[in-house]
Amino acid sequence: MTMSRFELTRIPIIKKILASRWLQWSLIAITLPVFLLSILAGLFGTPAGSRNFGIVFVWIVWWALLILLMLPFAGRLWCAMCPIPAPGEWLQRRALVQPRERGRLDTLGLKWPRRLNNIWLQNATFLAVALFSVVILTTPMVSALVLALFAIIALSISLLFERRTFCRYLCPVGGFIGLYSQLAPIEVRVKNHAVCVTHKEKTCYVGSDAGYGCPWLVFPAALDKNTYCGLCTECLKTCPLDNVALFARPFGADLLANKGRRLDEAYKAFIMLTCALAYSIVLIGPWSILREMAYAVGSMGWWLYAAGFLAVNLAVVPGIFLACVLVGKKMGRVIASTRKLFVDYAYALVPLGLAAWAAFSFSFVLTNLSYAWQALSDPFGWGWNLFGTANWSWTPYLAGWQGMLQVPMLLVGLVGAIAVAFRTAREQRASPRVALPIVAFCIAFTLALVGLYL
Amino acid sequence: MRREIFALGVVVLSFVVFPASLFAYQAWRTNALDARVIELTANVPANGGWQPDTIRVHLGERVRLRISSTDVVHGFAVPALGIQVDEILPGHVEEVEFVASRAGRFPFACTRWCSVDHWRMRGVIEVIDPQNPNPASPTFAPPLYQQLNVNIDAAHPARNVPSEHPSAVRGAVLAEQITVDADTRTQSPSDVFAKLRADAALKSYGDLQLWDAIAFEWKRAAGDDAIARGRQLYARDCAACHGESGKGDGPAGRNLPGRTVIDASARRGPADFTNAAQMLGASDVLLQGKILRGGMGTGMPEWRSLYTDQDMWDVISFIRGFVFEYGMSDKK
Repeated sequence: MTMSRFELTRIPIIKKILASRWLQWSLIAITLPVFLLSILAGLFGTPAGSRNFGIVFVWIVWWALLILLMLPFAGRLWCAMCPIPAPGEWLQRRALVQPRERGRLDTLGLKWPRRLNNIWLQNATFLAVALFSVVILTTPMVSALVLALFAIIALSISLLFERRTFCRYLCPVGGFIGLYSQLAPIEVRVKNHAVCVTHKEKTCYVGSDAGYGCPWLVFPAALDKNTYCGLCTECLKTCPLDNVALFARPFGADLLANKGRRLDEAYKAFIMLTCALAYSIVLIGPWSILREMAYAVGSMGWWLYAAGFLAVNLAVVPGIFLACVLVGKKMGRVIASTRKLFVDYAYALVPLGLAAWAAFSFSFVLTNLSYAWQALSDPFGWGWNLFGTANWSWTPYLAGWQGMLQVPMLLVGLVGAIAVAFRTAREQRASPRVALPIVAFCIAFTLALVGLYL
Repeated sequence: MRREIFALGVVVLSFVVFPASLFAYQAWRTNALDARVIELTANVPANGGWQPDTIRVHLGERVRLRISSTDVVHGFAVPALGIQVDEILPGHVEEVEFVASRAGRFPFACTRWCSVDHWRMRGVIEVIDPQNPNPASPTFAPPLYQQLNVNIDAAHPARNVPSEHPSAVRGAVLAEQITVDADTRTQSPSDVFAKLRADAALKSYGDLQLWDAIAFEWKRAAGDDAIARGRQLYARDCAACHGESGKGDGPAGRNLPGRTVIDASARRGPADFTNAAQMLGASDVLLQGKILRGGMGTGMPEWRSLYTDQDMWDVISFIRGFVFEYGMSDKK
């Protein structure tokens, strides 16, 4: 199927910006001080989370920008400006802006084990962080230590392994950003595959004097979904034939093609969907006992919470989904393997998952965003008033409107999920009835969240 | 190359100059304040209580405490320094300034019922005299109950119990007729009653009339102001366990063992101040001993580090009112 898309790089100013070697450095030059300030404020500032820049700007402001703006509209844009891998990448390149000869990199050059060429580790690191998230999200010191730990691991991995191995295989955030970037209405793709076939040097992958080979270990000519494209735009710079471009496209375009679907990505979809529900229950539901259990790390209650959390993420929700797949398989008399159906239909959860995260994020972002004014003027909670906003009182934004934002958001996700489910059935030349239990699953999930939010 | 140097310069600014400037600004600001700023964080005791729980300052130093709460509403008081912050809301910072004008150890505590273990939420401000950094430990006179050899753990049932709660209002009418010559600190009401009952001159008066006279005498000896102050302290520090009405039914006291740790047959939970059979058998000294020492496993905290003697007498005067009907309005 051909998909309508528009080449944004035909617009000269966009082309010029994307071709500039200053682009990524400029973005990181903005986020790096913010990241450093977040760590310093967490380590040395007030332990009151709502007064600490490290908590407010990472887990409220950044999170809101990521989930509500960057992910749905720009996919992996954050990965292009993330400060965490930047020092390691600069050390690999021995340069910050200009390319080295033939895009050479200095690392030990170790190859990432083939067995780990997937996002299972990212699933594991995300769950590991998620288990402690109630503490990480509210305790500045812990939050700062976790961020610093990410930075140290990213740096170490950069020195040992080639390119952005940390981002590609380990970063707990990168996993779900990649999954949901499939929904974004932009993509970096080659214009004409035939040109790539005739271009023997493959400078987009190996690098050239104009730039570095794809840091994300992707051959751009083979790129058919956004999942592993970090939007760094190196391939636009290294392609001597001007055959790589940035395109605008319909939302969710990657999900319309049933290609390259994998169990590790399917599980990422389950984990993200389940976590959105679990957080909604634990953090904003009426069961304070769950909140206390989640907070009391190391206690018997926390171990119970952790066991339940992992069981629901890894077994219960995927198990229910598997049951739906089996019912659908029976209803539609499909001959495809259960594993294939399980994986293919899991991608229907991608739009619903992002919608669930957006809805969940509305609940605390709108309530707490006003703390940003205080934290901006007094990042450490030391009594500063840099911009005159330190004493602005806490004010929930759009109070009373949250439900009206959350429910339509969920419905949009549900419609997307249903569309992907039926599309998957059509691609498999199966009866639409196969998708019906999946649709029922998505409706039940949506109703559960609506019940929590209203 | 120039571009690289510029880019590197910006990164160095981010990594070195930017953080250094933040701390330099704070150092300059603190010096300009002419006060030492100390951040104090309140957490419920299960999550660490006061952090830090020991604050060391030098004699003569001006100190600004910036107090914040990470969880629920707390309060803050340093009774010996006259510092009181009624409300520390989560996410807010309350500032209080004082001059450490005398050396010593000054306990501070949370004054809001923040959690079941609220009473554990205590700390101390140590004011150190640099001229005399290791002063000899101050000597205190032993508390009155020890001086008088009163066993505060022994049961203290009243020898006589009135048929109804004695009334200080009725007692006031009898004040000119019945002279209660008693030391209300050291004698229990029951002992005083026994003495009056044995007085042949008072033979014509009924038991309840004598009890009324005793109730009035306790109220008169304490004074209305002391009782009113005791009411405030009771509401702040005692009511959560002993109950607003003194029946020992406060929500924070539900799971406390009470005197069962001493006597398995005793009633669980905090003391019931409306129980005349117990309260009338206890002298004020005995009650003070219980308050200042605490309950040794019963769940009753110690108050010696926070209360002055007068605080304790005021609370006791108020507590007496659960048996002696003082006839005072609640607002007093």
